[in-house]
Amino acid sequence: MVSILLAASQSSNPILPASGEIIWSVLSFFVLMAILAKVAFPPISKMLKDRSEKIRGDIEAAERARNEAELDRAKAEAQLAEARHESTRLIDEARKTAEVIKADLVKRAEGEVAEMRQRAEEALEAERQRLAFELRGDIADLALELAEKILQSQLDRSSFDPLIASFLAESEASSK
Amino acid sequence: MSILGAVNFPPIGEVLNWKPFFLGGSALAFNKVTLTAVLATAITFILFYTAGKKKALVPTGVQNVVEAGVDFITNSIVLDIMGPDGLVWLPYLCGLFFFILINNLFEVIPVFQMPATARMGVTLPLAITVWVTFIVVGIKKQGFASYFKHSVVPSGVPGALLILLVPLEILSTFFVRPFALAIRLFGNMLAGHLLLITFAALSEAMFAKSISLVLLPLPFAMLTVLTGYEIFVSALQAFIFTILTAVYIGESMAGSH
Repeated sequence: MVSILLAASQSSNPILPASGEIIWSVLSFFVLMAILAKVAFPPISKMLKDRSEKIRGDIEAAERARNEAELDRAKAEAQLAEARHESTRLIDEARKTAEVIKADLVKRAEGEVAEMRQRAEEALEAERQRLAFELRGDIADLALELAEKILQSQLDRSSFDPLIASFLAESEASSK
Repeated sequence: MSILGAVNFPPIGEVLNWKPFFLGGSALAFNKVTLTAVLATAITFILFYTAGKKKALVPTGVQNVVEAGVDFITNSIVLDIMGPDGLVWLPYLCGLFFFILINNLFEVIPVFQMPATARMGVTLPLAITVWVTFIVVGIKKQGFASYFKHSVVPSGVPGALLILLVPLEILSTFFVRPFALAIRLFGNMLAGHLLLITFAALSEAMFAKSISLVLLPLPFAMLTVLTGYEIFVSALQAFIFTILTAVYIGESMAGSH
C-alpha cells in the first residue's frame, strides 16, 4: 500500500492522483466534516430554526391580531348602527314631544289671551259705565247751572229731574 | 507563426504537478494543491463559525452569505430531492458544497490560481466518500440483500432483459458513479485552469512582442471573460457534485427503481 502511495507521489502523469494530495484532502475534508457537525453547523441550524419559528409566530400573531381587529370593527360597526338607530328614535320622540308641548302651549296661550281679552273688555265696560255714570251727574249739574244762568233765577231742581232724565236718555241713545 | 513561436506555454506537468513545500519525497508531500485544500477547509470553517456567532435577526455580510448558501442547499437540493427525511444530511451537503466551491474559486484567486479540484487526488477521495456514504446508507436503511436487489434489479423489466440490465446497473451504480463524480469535477476544473493559462500565456507573448501589442486586447479580453466564466463554473460544479450526492443518498434512503 505504502509502495503504491509512494509510486503515486512520484508519478509524473498529471492525471494520476498524487498520494500527498489524496491524504491531505481526505484529512482536510474529514476534519471539516467533524468540526462542522460538532461546532460550526449546529448554531446556524438552530438560528435558522429559531428564525423560522419566530417568523411563523409573528405571522400567527399578526393573523390573530387581524382577526381580533376584524371582530372589533364588526362590533364597532354594529354599535354605531345601533347608536344611529337610537339617535333617530330619540330625535323622533323628541320631535313628537315638542309638537305635543307646542300644541299644548299654543292652546294654553290662546286660552289665556281669550281670558285676558275678556277681562279687559269687562274692565273696559265697567270703566265705561262708571264714566257714564259720573258724566251723567256732571252733565246734570252743568245743565242746571246753565239753566239757572239762563233763567237768571233760582229754580227747584226736583221739579226738573224727570226732564233731565229724559234728556239724558235721549242724549245717551243718540251717542250710541 | 512568429507570435505562436514566442508563446511560452508551460508543459502540462509543470502547471499541475506542484513542487512540495515540505515533506517532499514522502507520501505526505505538502504542495500548493494540498495548501489550497487545507485553506478551503479553514475558510469554510471560519465562514460557518463566524456566521453562527453573529446570530443577527437580519443577516448581513458573512452571515448572509452562509445563510443564503444553507438556505439554497436546504430548499433546492435537500427538500426537492430527498424530502424532509434528508435534512439530517444538511451539514454534510453544506460542508461538501462549500468545500468544493472554495477549492474551485482558488482558480481565479491571484497568487494561488490553481483549483485543488483540478487534481484527481482531491476529487477522487471526495467521490469515494460519497460512494461509501450512499452504499452504507442503503444497507442501513433497506438491509444488505434488499438494497443490492433494489439497486441492480430494475422493477417491471422482463426477465430476459435482466441478463443485460443487471450487469449494466452494477457497473453504473457501483463503479461508474464515483468515477463520473470525480472525473466530471476534475475535468471541468482542469479545463478551466488550462484555458486561463492558455490565454494568460498568449497575452504575455503579445505583450513581449511590440508589433503584436495591437492584438493584445483580444486574448486579454478573453482571459477576463473566462475568469468570470470560471467563477460561474466553480459554483455550478460545486452544485452539480452536491446535487448528485443528494440524489444518490436519497435513492439509497428511499430504495431506487
